[in-house]
Amino acid sequence: MKHNKLHDFLLAMPGFLIYTVFMIVPLGMCFFYSFTNWDGISPKYKMIGLKNFRRLFADADFYNALKVTLIITVITVLIYNVLGAVLAVFLNRKNRACSFTKSAIFVPAVLSSVVVAFIWSYMMQTDGGVINAVLGLIGIAPFDFYATPLRTIVMISVIIAWNGLGLFVVIYMATLSTIPTEMLEAAEVDGANGIQRFFRVTLPLMMPGITINSILSIAGGLKQYDHVKVITGGGPGGATQTITLLSVEKAFEYNRRGYSSAIILVLFVMIVVLSVIQLSITKRREVKY
Amino acid sequence: MKKLLALVLCILLICGAVCAAVADEVKIVFCVNLQPQLPLEFWQSIADRYMAAKPDVKVEIIGNPSSNVTLPQYEKTLLGTNQFPDIMVMQNPADFVPSGALLAFDEGDLDYLANPDVGKIGGRQYVANYKKQIIGVFYNKDMFAANGIGEPQTWQEMVDLCEKLLAAGIQPFSMGLKDGWPQSVLANMFAGTDLLAKDAHWGTKRNADEVKFDNPDLVKAMEKHQTVCTKYCGANTAGITYTQMLELFFTGRAAMLPIGSWVNAEVAKAEHDFEVGWFPMPGDDNADVLSVYVNEGLSIGAYTKYPDICKDFIRFFFTDEALYGKFLESEQLFSTTKNAVEYDMIPLRKEMEARIATMTEVEGFESMTGDDAFLPGLKDYYTNKMTQNIAIGMDVTDALDDFDEEWEIAKEAIDDAA
Repeated sequence: MKHNKLHDFLLAMPGFLIYTVFMIVPLGMCFFYSFTNWDGISPKYKMIGLKNFRRLFADADFYNALKVTLIITVITVLIYNVLGAVLAVFLNRKNRACSFTKSAIFVPAVLSSVVVAFIWSYMMQTDGGVINAVLGLIGIAPFDFYATPLRTIVMISVIIAWNGLGLFVVIYMATLSTIPTEMLEAAEVDGANGIQRFFRVTLPLMMPGITINSILSIAGGLKQYDHVKVITGGGPGGATQTITLLSVEKAFEYNRRGYSSAIILVLFVMIVVLSVIQLSITKRREVKY
Repeated sequence: MKKLLALVLCILLICGAVCAAVADEVKIVFCVNLQPQLPLEFWQSIADRYMAAKPDVKVEIIGNPSSNVTLPQYEKTLLGTNQFPDIMVMQNPADFVPSGALLAFDEGDLDYLANPDVGKIGGRQYVANYKKQIIGVFYNKDMFAANGIGEPQTWQEMVDLCEKLLAAGIQPFSMGLKDGWPQSVLANMFAGTDLLAKDAHWGTKRNADEVKFDNPDLVKAMEKHQTVCTKYCGANTAGITYTQMLELFFTGRAAMLPIGSWVNAEVAKAEHDFEVGWFPMPGDDNADVLSVYVNEGLSIGAYTKYPDICKDFIRFFFTDEALYGKFLESEQLFSTTKNAVEYDMIPLRKEMEARIATMTEVEGFESMTGDDAFLPGLKDYYTNKMTQNIAIGMDVTDALDDFDEEWEIAKEAIDDAA
C-alpha cells in the first residue's frame, strides 16, 4: 500500500483538533490571562506583566496549598507504588483467594472520585459516622478525623489512595506478566532467596511499570481537587486547600481569574519539571534483556 | 421524482413555519437558588403561573447544578461563558455591578417594595430585595429553665451562662465549620453589636479607605467569635456540617443555635421534644441591636434582550400575593413589600416579629449592601477564610491584617480595571 501523507494527515486531524480545542487553546489562554488582571466576568482587563507571579510567590495561602498538595502527593505516590508493587507481586498467582483480592482492590477504582469522597465523608463523621459507631460498639471513644489539618490531609490521602490503588496494581501486574519465568528460575538455581530474587530480578524488570505509575501518581497528586473539595472544601480556613482548590477559589469566589491562571501555570510547570526529572531517573534504570 | 420534491418542499415549509414561530416567541432565562425549602418545583410553579398569564413569554428555569457550587459561583461561570441569565436570584450584587453585568432599575420600577432604596450601589438599584432575615440565637427553653438560666442581656451574662451550661455537662452552642458559612453568621452578630451599632455605614468608610478592618471594635467582635467557637462549641467543630448543627440542637445535645431566622422553617418541621426560644446576641451593655440580611433579591442581566418583560416578571413575583406568600412561608421570612403578606406563621416567628419591632437594626456585616458592601470577592474571603481562621484559633489581629491586605488587592484590581 502506497504511503500517502495527506491520508495520514486527514486521519490525524480529528484527534489533533480535539486536542487543540481542549488542551492547547485553554493552556494558551491560561498563559495569556496569567499576565492580566482579568476578574473573570468583566469584558475589560489590563496587561500587568509579572505582577500576578510576584504576588503569588509572596502569598502565604499559595505556600500552604503547596505544602498540602505535596503531602498528598508524597503519601499517595508511596501507597500507589510501594503497596501497589508489593500487592501485585503477592497477587500474581492463579488461585481463588488472589482473584477475589484482585477484584476487591480494583472495585474502588471504577467508582467516581466524588462518590467515593461522599461515602467516606459520611463514614468518617465524628457524630453519627459508621466508623465511630463501630468503635463505640467495641467501647472505643470516637475518633475525630478532622481534629487537626495534618490528620485530615493524611486521611484524605489514604482515601485517594484507596480509590486509585486498583489501577496501579493492575499496571504492576501487567508488567510482572512480561517478566520471563526462566530468569526467576535461573536466579533460584543460582541460590538467590525470595528477597534477593525480588530486588535483583523482579524489581529491575518492573521498571517500565514503575516509570508509568510514578508519572501518573505524581501528576495525579499534584492535580488533586475532587476528594478534597467534597470532604473538606479546603477548610477550615483554607487549612486543607490544594493548589487546584486555591486556584478555583481565587477565580470563582474572589474574582481574580488572572491570578488564578498564574497559579495553574505554576502548577503546570511543576508537573512538567517533576515528570521530566522522574522520567530521566527511572528510564535510566530500566533493564533490557 | 415529483413526489420526492413535493415531500422536500413540505418539510422545508414546516421547518420554516416552526422557525418563524420560535423566532416570535419571547424566552427569558431565570436563574434560581435551588435549596431544600425552595426546590425546582417551587420556582417552576412561578414560571408556569407567569406563562399562563403571558402566553407569548416562555420562562426557562436554571439553577446551581450542585450544592458544591454556590449560586454566585455559578452565576459568575455563566457570565464568563456568555450565558448570563435574563433574571436571577442575586445574593451579592457588589461582585457583579463593577463589571457592568446587572441592569439598574429605573425610578418607580420597584414601587411595590416598602424600601426600594435599600442597598443602592452608586445611587442606583440593581436588586429587587425579596426578603429580610434576622440573625440571633435559638435556644432550648426547657434546658435553660432546668438550669435556672434566663435570656442574657449582656455579653458577660452570655459568657456566664455558657460556663454554667459547661459545668452542667451541656454543650452551650451547636456549631460546625465544615460547610464554612454557618460560623460567619455568628461573627456577623458580634460585628453588628460591637461595630455597626456604633456606625451603620462603616462599610462605606472602609471602601473609602478611611478605616481598617484591624480596628479595636472589630478586633473585640472577632475575639468574642473566637471565644465562642473555641470554648463553647465542643471539640470537633471542623467535621460538623450545617445539617449536623441543626441535628445537634434539635436533638437536645447543644443548648443554643446561633443562626438566621430561616431556621424557623426547621423549628416548624424538625422533631424536637422541647420548646424553642430566640433572643438577639447581646452586646456589652444591652441586647437591643439586631443584624438583618437584606442582600438577596431578583436582578436583571445587563445583556437581556427583554428588560421590560423581566421587570414585568419581577413585579408579578412580588404582587401575586399567593405566590409571594408561599415564598415567604418556605423559610418563615419577613416580607419586603409595601403591602403585608399573610402566610401561615409559627408562634415563634410571630413572637420574633413583635420582639424586634423596637430594636435597632443594622445590616449583617458580611452581607452589607449598596455602598457599604465589601469589594468584589471579599465576602467569600470573610466567610471562607478570615472568620474560619479565627474560629479555629488564629490570632485575631493577624487575621484582620490579612483581610486588610486582601482588601488592598481587590481595590487595586478595581483601580486597574478603571
